[in-house]
Amino acid sequence: MTPPSPTVLTATNIRKSFGDREVLAGVSLEAREGEVISILGGSGSGKSTFLRCLNLLEVPDEGQIAIGDVQAPLARDRHGRLVVSDGRVAARLRTQTAMVFQGFNLWPHLTVLQNVMEAPLRVHRRDRDEVLATARTLLERVGMAGFHAAYPKRLSGGQQQRVAIARALATNPKLVLFDEPTSALDPERVREVLALMRSLAEEGRTMIVVTHEMAFARDVSSRVVHLMNGRVESSGPPAHMFGPDASPAFRAFLSPAAL
Amino acid sequence: MGEHLTFIGSVTAQLVRAVPVTLLILAVSGVCATVLATGLTVLSVARSPLPRLFQRTWTFLFRGTPLILQIFMIYYGFAMVPWIRHGFLWTAFRDPVFCTCLAMTCCCSAYIAEIFRGALAAVPRGEIEAGRACGMTGFMLLRRVIAPSLIRIALPSYSNEIIMMTKSTSLASTITVLDITGVAQQVIAHSYRTLDVFCAAAALYLLINAGLSALLAALERRLDVDRAVSSISVPPVVEPLS
Repeated sequence: MTPPSPTVLTATNIRKSFGDREVLAGVSLEAREGEVISILGGSGSGKSTFLRCLNLLEVPDEGQIAIGDVQAPLARDRHGRLVVSDGRVAARLRTQTAMVFQGFNLWPHLTVLQNVMEAPLRVHRRDRDEVLATARTLLERVGMAGFHAAYPKRLSGGQQQRVAIARALATNPKLVLFDEPTSALDPERVREVLALMRSLAEEGRTMIVVTHEMAFARDVSSRVVHLMNGRVESSGPPAHMFGPDASPAFRAFLSPAAL
Repeated sequence: MGEHLTFIGSVTAQLVRAVPVTLLILAVSGVCATVLATGLTVLSVARSPLPRLFQRTWTFLFRGTPLILQIFMIYYGFAMVPWIRHGFLWTAFRDPVFCTCLAMTCCCSAYIAEIFRGALAAVPRGEIEAGRACGMTGFMLLRRVIAPSLIRIALPSYSNEIIMMTKSTSLASTITVLDITGVAQQVIAHSYRTLDVFCAAAALYLLINAGLSALLAALERRLDVDRAVSSISVPPVVEPLS
């Protein structure tokens, strides 16, 4: 038996409310190196909010987060609310991660190549030649080698998302967060993005994926987490979750898709 | 007919000599107002309420009162204040060009700050989040992500404001500055040929604004990545087989 791989992410008891609506009611998650965790759940189940708490795009009301060896700098202000107490540490936490968004969010004023090079060059201050070589390799990898000088506006949704994935990988992050990466794409483009994500999973990338793609969750992920009403309703390996012994609530969630 | 042309020619020559004064006022107040507006924009998104209140009050005062009154208050009004009149500031405040520039800086900064504020609100949140998600903070985020989008969004309205400013410089003539309009009025005072002289002056403003428009439009084109792309060779958008 191989020793368990090191922990990349520990999120403990994350709570978050918007106004008086409680979106996350205490969610914990641990991710080990090489794991691909799919977070499933109905709309409003808090799955995107949870993902955005992990890199502090949303500040949770309660809870602790650690990524790699960086502890999220969360402390209470004088009103007792949790706030980011050190912006630099928060930024360092984020440099351990990368995020792929539903809406791609490429920087429109930069070319495809510049988009991919931006973070390693400016944030990580890596050597330019090295960054360029990595960016080239990554763009080739995602099938966008011929588009270095193109601006994002000129690309289709699927192409933009593949560039966004290359951008996410450019810093070689410990953890890649995918926030419904295929929800804004038409079915044909969904396939090419999922194929790419599958190949990332196969090379051992640690990924947390918020998705509605059941086939991806079943075939690619190492663990499936079902969020319901801001809590982890059930979780486990896909064989269990998509098998006969899955929780009734998760089966009910799946059933419209099965029809 | 020949005499008429000679007159217009000589008037135009006189007016052209005043163009540098108009351009000086425009350049100084344009640059200062833009810098000040940038500061006001930063204040408008400050976390604490005091800077935000300051920006709102500034806009309220300088956008809500006529520019010509602001010019009069600074040029004539401040001369009544003993410590300005007899202090070292007097060297500045007795100069009508300085007073015009000061008034225009204050007034136009209020307008430009509103333009920037609107543009800032229009920068897509996702672009900023993408910057934060990869670890950008503060100044880098502003310079690399927010400003490029903000400038592109603000530029059309900003250009409009600069054109308005060019015309507003003519108010300097009311406090004895011999800019284009000032010289025009001087010439009319002893020639009485109102229409000819004003037409010549208007033509000069048109020329200046035509130049400015062309410059700003060129800048807009340069920043428009969609058009800039056509000059670089880019392969057509084709989906490779997956």
